[in-house]
Amino acid sequence: MLRPAGLWRLCRRPWAARVSAENPGRREITSGVSPRGSTSLRALNIFDRDLKRKQKNWAARQPEPTKFDYLKEEVGSRIADRVYDIPRAFPLALDLGCGRGYIAQYLNKKNSLETEIPTVSVLADEEFLPFRENTFDLVVSSLSLHWVNDLPRALEQIHYILKPDGVFIGAMFGGDTLYELRCSLQLAETEREGGFSPHISPFTAVNDLGHLLGRAGFNTLTVDTDEIQVNYPGMFELMEDLQGMGESNCSWNRKALLHRDTMLAAAAVYREMYRNEDGSVPATYQIYYMIGWKYHESQARPAERGSATVSFGELGKINNLMPQGKKSQ
Amino acid sequence: MSVNGAVGRVRSRLRAFPERLAACGAEAAAYGRCVQASTAPGGSLSKDLCAREFEALRSCFAAAAKKTLERGC
Repeated sequence: MLRPAGLWRLCRRPWAARVSAENPGRREITSGVSPRGSTSLRALNIFDRDLKRKQKNWAARQPEPTKFDYLKEEVGSRIADRVYDIPRAFPLALDLGCGRGYIAQYLNKKNSLETEIPTVSVLADEEFLPFRENTFDLVVSSLSLHWVNDLPRALEQIHYILKPDGVFIGAMFGGDTLYELRCSLQLAETEREGGFSPHISPFTAVNDLGHLLGRAGFNTLTVDTDEIQVNYPGMFELMEDLQGMGESNCSWNRKALLHRDTMLAAAAVYREMYRNEDGSVPATYQIYYMIGWKYHESQARPAERGSATVSFGELGKINNLMPQGKKSQ
Repeated sequence: MSVNGAVGRVRSRLRAFPERLAACGAEAAAYGRCVQASTAPGGSLSKDLCAREFEALRSCFAAAAKKTLERGC
């Protein structure tokens, strides 16, 4: 199983340098020109990917990096469950944005025939995948696509590298993630400073996910949502954990400074508005799980209009009908 | 991002925040209630709407900081 993580410096740097030279010190969303001849100027440049790489490297260098892995381990195990739901063997798989690898370990334990899945780590950029067409039977991605600037393009690339009848299983953060933190910071900043700036990344909406996957060419889409609530002693501990996970804000339009007064005010608001009975404060992580297939002739397609051989009125006798005729899928 | 530089000093100061905030529970709750009241229908949040409560919170926080400094933490 190949596991790319982090950035591929060779491809990334010239483009990133050009963008920052044009906008020295300006904090606004810039729409960069999409590289490699995309059909439109739809590429957004929301996140500073170089900074994200530095943040993740910093987090990995901390004394105990694995103590912040609880969320990614949990989502990794749920993705592994979804892989197991598909009754197929996948000879070659890709874990996109794997970090320290949270999915492979769950696939190892349950599989009694082989104790170790051979893995190769590749340092690459999620937006510029260095693989050939029709390479992988399975692509999984757990909680890393929310830092991708051009998500439609990344999904198209995933579709490209999949074999026909290959499947993509992904998990992304949803719109309700950390809403308590976002609201507390917003209210505190408004009260203390008169305005507010976004401190939480924008997340993809669940409707848009379906459209994006469809546009990238995936069939038979499944999107479902899940909420994980983690309790923390207070807002500062939550922010420390987010930093330790390598999930600090890296948008171009982030404010450079969060005043101590504002932080104090936000912590007080957070505690008052959202605390649990035992005094801890909850933080919600909303996860969207998506499954998309690459087209293959063997896959089920909607039947032609007028080709029905049984009527819905006979639904009560379905047990008798099923062994007889063809099952219309 | 050196441990001994400016960022390191800010981080070590930040780590003491939760303890000091715990010492000022009442003031924090008062400030929080004031802000939360402004989110109710009919209320509006403007700058320094809860300045009084925040000043109380800030002075309590500073007092707690002084106390921990005297304790030698």
